[in-house]
Amino acid sequence: MSLVTLENIKKDYITGEIATPALKGISLAIEPGKFISFIGPSGSGKTTLLNLLGGLDRPTSGRVTVAGTEISSLDRRASAKFRGENIGFIFQNFNLIPVLTVYENVEFPLLMVQELPPAERRRRVEEMLEKVGMADQARKYPGQISGGQKQRVAVARALAARPKLVLADEPTANLDHDTAYKVIGLMHAMKKELDTTFIFATHDQKVVGEAEQIYTIEDGLLSAGIK
Amino acid sequence: MKNIFKIAFRNLLRYTRRTLLTSSLIALGVTLVIVFGGVGNSFRSEVIGIITNSNLGHLQVHKKGYIGSMDNLPLDLVIGDKGLEGLRKTLDSHPEVGSYSERIRFGAMISNFASTTNMRLTAVKPERESAVCPDLPGRIKEGEAGPAAFVKPGAIVLPQNIAAGLGFKVGDEVVLVANNKDGSVNGLSFRLSGISENIMGPQGKDGYIHIDDARTLLRIEGEEVTEVAVRLKDFDRLPGAAASIKKELAALAGAGQAAGAEPKPGAQPGRGAKAGLEVHTWEDLSPFSSIAKMVTLLIMVVRLVLVFIVLVSVLNVMMMSVYERIGEIGTMASIGTPPNKILALFLAEGLSLGLLSGLIGGAAGAGLLLLIKALKIKFTFGNMDLVLSPAVALGEIALAIGVVLVISGLASLQPALKASRMEPVEALRHV
Repeated sequence: MSLVTLENIKKDYITGEIATPALKGISLAIEPGKFISFIGPSGSGKTTLLNLLGGLDRPTSGRVTVAGTEISSLDRRASAKFRGENIGFIFQNFNLIPVLTVYENVEFPLLMVQELPPAERRRRVEEMLEKVGMADQARKYPGQISGGQKQRVAVARALAARPKLVLADEPTANLDHDTAYKVIGLMHAMKKELDTTFIFATHDQKVVGEAEQIYTIEDGLLSAGIK
Repeated sequence: MKNIFKIAFRNLLRYTRRTLLTSSLIALGVTLVIVFGGVGNSFRSEVIGIITNSNLGHLQVHKKGYIGSMDNLPLDLVIGDKGLEGLRKTLDSHPEVGSYSERIRFGAMISNFASTTNMRLTAVKPERESAVCPDLPGRIKEGEAGPAAFVKPGAIVLPQNIAAGLGFKVGDEVVLVANNKDGSVNGLSFRLSGISENIMGPQGKDGYIHIDDARTLLRIEGEEVTEVAVRLKDFDRLPGAAASIKKELAALAGAGQAAGAEPKPGAQPGRGAKAGLEVHTWEDLSPFSSIAKMVTLLIMVVRLVLVFIVLVSVLNVMMMSVYERIGEIGTMASIGTPPNKILALFLAEGLSLGLLSGLIGGAAGAGLLLLIKALKIKFTFGNMDLVLSPAVALGEIALAIGVVLVISGLASLQPALKASRMEPVEALRHV
């Protein structure tokens, strides 16, 4: 059974009375445990597609189903709950919460979203920080660590809630070459260990090289998956 | 909840300068409210204390219609023997009444055989008057001032303005000439035994003689009096006690009218037909009650200013906070933080700011009041010398902090709602 199903997804952005189509009818099915990359030029619709997969935005038409739930029809509260339980996000700019320590950033979704008991939260946070190699930096704030370390914390935060799907939008765009490789390697290892599906939107050939399946988006349309 | 407040507090510290500036402004407002309230209440209590403890008492009972003609000090609107008997019974048995003093107030001409002027006099039994107005003997600055005998039979106490105006000295012999209620004139000699300070209010410039002398001078054969001043055991229970005394006097009048019958339902308290007695609190009798109300009003205005300071400051800070953290809100929303928790995070931030500022302001206000109290600042109001002795009222401080908290919560609500309703995809674009 597919983890993600897209059925004839269209998305238009409305500016005044002008509708600009971003996605022009995309259908796709993604199996669990895959490492998938969407590539394409800027403005091709990669981020829009990721936003629809994550339930952050709604399609103009079509259906998005993730883990058996049609997320395109959920209201704001239900959508937030679904994301908290099923989807992890990794952002280009890391998006760590600056007033929280490394430990607290990873703990945040477990505390605020999943409301796990303290002992379980502690166990999971320590486990994830250990896995991403940030256990010794747990008490530092985001402003006190490097970009690569921030992205490792972001990976830990995305995976701490044990999501079925992780969506990563240009996760290596702000990292140097070596660090980018390390972060990709980390995500790959996590995917193997936790059997989580990773979907990337990227320009980065390093990420593309690691993907099990690559889809090209151009002018709002999806080409067949290659590799 | 603890974690939400922890995050809120850290966010406040994140913009230290802005938080300090806003917090200082609110704290200053709280300090102002507490100090102004403390000083205002102290001034009000001090003046009320002087007025009620020196001449008015806490409340007074008169014959119906007396107050309307009080400027003429009428001797035909008196509480007669029968009415006085019932009134004494009522006051003696009333649990709130501490003491009472029967008085005859009248106008007279005073002369030292060389100069003559008009004046007002209050005739009293000194020991009873001292029990109702304990500060009165203390205001007699020259001559005899013992509480039980500040005015003996044959003696007179004059207010400063009359004594100075006519050049009287303690020990001088003076003559009082007065009309009785039938219009006949009588005169009596007195020895000046004391000179009292003037104070504000309707009886602040009265002279005092013994009540027995007044009966002789005015040829009063019975025990009739023009007023009875009452001191309560607890001044703070004045409204309830006054209402209760009015009710009892009304019942007394009703009983007198209907030979023991129950008072009619709906009968106006204090307006009994036959005994016809009225009860007036010091507020009804003294013009200072208007000033006291103005002080209360000013305190309310200062509180209102505080409300606006907090509203504008917290609203401004929280709107800035939301605007600056749109991307962060997008991140929180995208990882699944429910809207109500995003709302709670920003509300907690506003409340923390209010609480912090309120506590600082409360402490500063209490400190300043203690300082003012320690300095014993003296000033003159009217012709009364006052000492500021503000009390640190914990209730007032708690109220000020409570107001700040409530307004902070209300001011944070709109920005917090805005944050909680943001579309994550729109918010993330601001990163």
